Amino acid sequence: MVTKELVKKVASIARIELSEEEVNKFTKEFTAVIDWFNELGEVDTKGVKPSYHPLKTENVFREDEVKECLSQEESLINTNHKEKGFFKGPKAV
Amino acid sequence: MKAEEFAHQARAGKINLEDFYVEYFKQLRKIDSKYDCFITISEEEAFKQLEKLPRGKLYGVPVSFKDAICTRGLQTTGGSKMLEGYKPTFDASVVERIKAEGGVIVGKTCMDEFGLGGFSTNCAYKTPKNPIDDSRVTGGSSGGAGVIARAIKGPHIAIGESTGGSISCPASFCGVNGLTPTYGRVPRHGLLDYACSLDKIGVLSKHISDISLTMSIIAGFDKRDLTSRSEEVPNYSMPQPVKDLTIGLPKEYFGEGIDPKVSDCVIKSVKKLEDQGVKVKKVSLSMSKYALPAYYLVAMSEVSTNLAKLCGMRYGLELPIRKDGFNEYFSKVRAVGFGTEAKRRIILGTYARMSGYRSKYYLQAMKVRTLIINDFKKAFKSVDLLAAPSMPVIAPRFDEVDKLTPLENYKMDILTVAPNLAGIPMLSTPCGEVSGMPVGLHLMADHLQERKLIDAGVALE
Amino acid sequence: MSEVIIGLETHVQLNTKSKMFCNCPTLGDDEPNTRTCEVCIGAPGSKPRLNKAVVSKALAIALALNCKINKQMTWDRKSYFYPDMGKNYQITQYDDPIGKDGYLMVNDHKIRIRRVHMEEDPARLVHPGGSILNSDYVLVDYNRSGVPLVEIVTEPDLDSPEEAREYLRQLTSILEHLGVYDSGDFTMKSDCNISLKGGERVEIKNVSGLRNPELALKGELARQQRLHGKVKRETRQFNPVDGTTHALRTKESEMDYGYIVDPDLPWLVISDDQIKEVKDSLPELPAGRVKRFVKEYKMNPGQAYTLVSDKALADFFEQSVKGYKNASRVAAWIDTQLLKCLNYNKETIRESKVTPKSFMELIELMDSGVITERLGKELIKDFVSTGVSPKKLVQKKGLGRLELSDLEKVVGKVLKDNKDLDLKNNPKQINFLIGQVLKATKGQADPNKVRELIKKKA
Repeated sequence: MVTKELVKKVASIARIELSEEEVNKFTKEFTAVIDWFNELGEVDTKGVKPSYHPLKTENVFREDEVKECLSQEESLINTNHKEKGFFKGPKAV
Repeated sequence: MKAEEFAHQARAGKINLEDFYVEYFKQLRKIDSKYDCFITISEEEAFKQLEKLPRGKLYGVPVSFKDAICTRGLQTTGGSKMLEGYKPTFDASVVERIKAEGGVIVGKTCMDEFGLGGFSTNCAYKTPKNPIDDSRVTGGSSGGAGVIARAIKGPHIAIGESTGGSISCPASFCGVNGLTPTYGRVPRHGLLDYACSLDKIGVLSKHISDISLTMSIIAGFDKRDLTSRSEEVPNYSMPQPVKDLTIGLPKEYFGEGIDPKVSDCVIKSVKKLEDQGVKVKKVSLSMSKYALPAYYLVAMSEVSTNLAKLCGMRYGLELPIRKDGFNEYFSKVRAVGFGTEAKRRIILGTYARMSGYRSKYYLQAMKVRTLIINDFKKAFKSVDLLAAPSMPVIAPRFDEVDKLTPLENYKMDILTVAPNLAGIPMLSTPCGEVSGMPVGLHLMADHLQERKLIDAGVALE
Repeated sequence: MSEVIIGLETHVQLNTKSKMFCNCPTLGDDEPNTRTCEVCIGAPGSKPRLNKAVVSKALAIALALNCKINKQMTWDRKSYFYPDMGKNYQITQYDDPIGKDGYLMVNDHKIRIRRVHMEEDPARLVHPGGSILNSDYVLVDYNRSGVPLVEIVTEPDLDSPEEAREYLRQLTSILEHLGVYDSGDFTMKSDCNISLKGGERVEIKNVSGLRNPELALKGELARQQRLHGKVKRETRQFNPVDGTTHALRTKESEMDYGYIVDPDLPWLVISDDQIKEVKDSLPELPAGRVKRFVKEYKMNPGQAYTLVSDKALADFFEQSVKGYKNASRVAAWIDTQLLKCLNYNKETIRESKVTPKSFMELIELMDSGVITERLGKELIKDFVSTGVSPKKLVQKKGLGRLELSDLEKVVGKVLKDNKDLDLKNNPKQINFLIGQVLKATKGQADPNKVRELIKKKA
């Protein structure tokens, strides 16, 4: 059973502010979805290794070399929240 | 006209590209006004490209990119309000490679927000309409690509992307070819992430030869995407006859939930291949039932981390920074910037990897994924290709889609999620019609066996 | 078991040329946001590109700390939202740290190392109001974002704030001897965990350097002792300006990081051959260097330990004594006089203007008798403060050993000026006379020679 409290809790971890309407809607919808997810519990996966990639991939690196960076202006180009060459953000509390 | 032919004529001086594009953009805008397939049409930038166009394999060929693909200095939104006006400071690998061969960027196509959807009805800008019957959806999430590939008269290469079936679905619904390459075959550098272990850039077009030409240009390792494959890129443009191939029909893909008329079209198409010497046999993919929930758990878990970076700082949608603490600010921006489906999947994905649930959902899905991959590997020991319908139905109508619950929405991907989870390459190719709407034949091959798909596609053309 | 229980989680910036997942430089222009790219500002569509030097340095650290090496690793995304994050997840090693179950000896105490792992540094925050509490917004500089870190976590084996500092000093020495870290250019920060036996644990986050963790722990220890068993489990922040700690929101410790494997990065597989290769080619580490110093330079182990505990100092020593026979003498002078002056000037040998060459000049001036040992001890103060070479200082001040004839003249004058002193009956008054001679010669005279001369003349 998915409760409103659970939906609110997870939404807050995901940093998405939901309206009451959204909370109600999602609570209803998620119950069906999560029941469906629970069907995976039927599968016996003892001893099965997880596949984080669909094909095997290992040990691909790059050399420790310095290449050209963005200029300060380029770095800040996609935001209006900037001041004295810094990015600006909400306070850290 | 096929791209290769067009490029050849253009290089030979037989086509005046300036004149061509004046007319071409008129047509493009007409199609867009009818079917709403473009988020951005880049006419000015295209003419600028013409000033200094490399005389490569795609010389002068018009190319559109799903708006999930970064184009330097040109708006890239991912179909979301979150990135309205966002202009990347770099080109994606595929954009670089296509430009280097003389491909001309004509626009960025509509998509479900960040790939989250199966009908392109979740685009924050426009909802693309099916060009064959505009009361019907285009399929998603590369809906705009499907539309333009179908509706345009003249050469066109539409670059799309698939995570759970987002190339095969619009290709099938719009009646064009759509190739989803092996995971990693085409580098993802510059692709806005939906799910990093599932995303694959691919090609939609009326002509198989367009697809093979494009693949020869965009495939291959790029050191800026460490998951891109370093295996040699074969010559895709030399199709072989199919008579030595064996095709398997997975019984789970033809049964319950699939429109029997759609299955019929597909079987008829497979028969055409049989007539050319292909052997056909029945196979079983026993884990099929679990592919849908496993796919959605993997995809949602990954996307909930990928979309975390969109929070009203550095790029994208911003709100005024007053005195809100960071939690309040981020939560407000994301509430405004994301559409409903994006919110759903981010929240479900966050849940699936929370401590206490991570083992049961995220990890279990990854383990089931192994079993699904094994299923395919086992099948490919005895067959070269698998064949099935791409979608269980023809393109539904908008009013039908509106009535679907989220779960019913997800279940539409029933035929495409398993091969996408397994990262195997697939080709959706038109194979007939039901009620005037196209049906797609879905061919699947083992990892890195795109050539066999192309061979079969050519044989059916 | 100790009354005080301390564990440290130390983050060390590695001295690679480029960042962990992109080719931006780790050092350079300090103007904000001048060393960034799409990867380290977390621009949509960018993917991480792993720097192979980060892995080889981390492997060397894990081996030097006697860890078991994990041979197959994935990378993990640690999700949390904060204004200093580029992607609102940090790429780290949660499930599979590169090294586990190692140890570091601090004097004779074995400090167990629980884990060694790699992760990326977030950006640097500037609080326009001066502190996190009185700023309405933050300013962010992504130059630091993506710098490679190695995190080294101890078991709670440390017994005291002093031992914690000594542990960090030894750790720094190991890292510098490995060539993976430079304390001059890069940063070391520790989260310090402390509890009193039977009590709750308090974590003090992000304390940089060697001295500050000791101060923070000392202050926190005193605070906990004052609370007489009523310590709350919490996270605190250290203020280096006044040496106090204050509590952060308790929510910090309830964070759910929602770990998933990062699919953008391939598996990291380390072979036995690779481990052997790195192990065999590890440079000389502090423990080995101490043994060598004792043997080669005939030092006492205490001296050797002090020198080697600061790599730059040990290097300074070895360069100084090249071709010089009495290494022990040089070691003693470094250990006592030089270190004392450096401390007084609040410098380490790295910042100092003193070079091995100029330092040996001082030693040689004393060896050759131009100045006395006593004068040398005076001179070194100016030498360390100004960096002016000892030879020049001697010249400038008009110092230098007196000719015997000149000395005899001075002794004669002093004796004449003090002829009422009766040395036969008050032998101790010779010291007064020696003092007068030294005064007259501005300390240049050798007191023993003066004593000798006075006895002769008197």
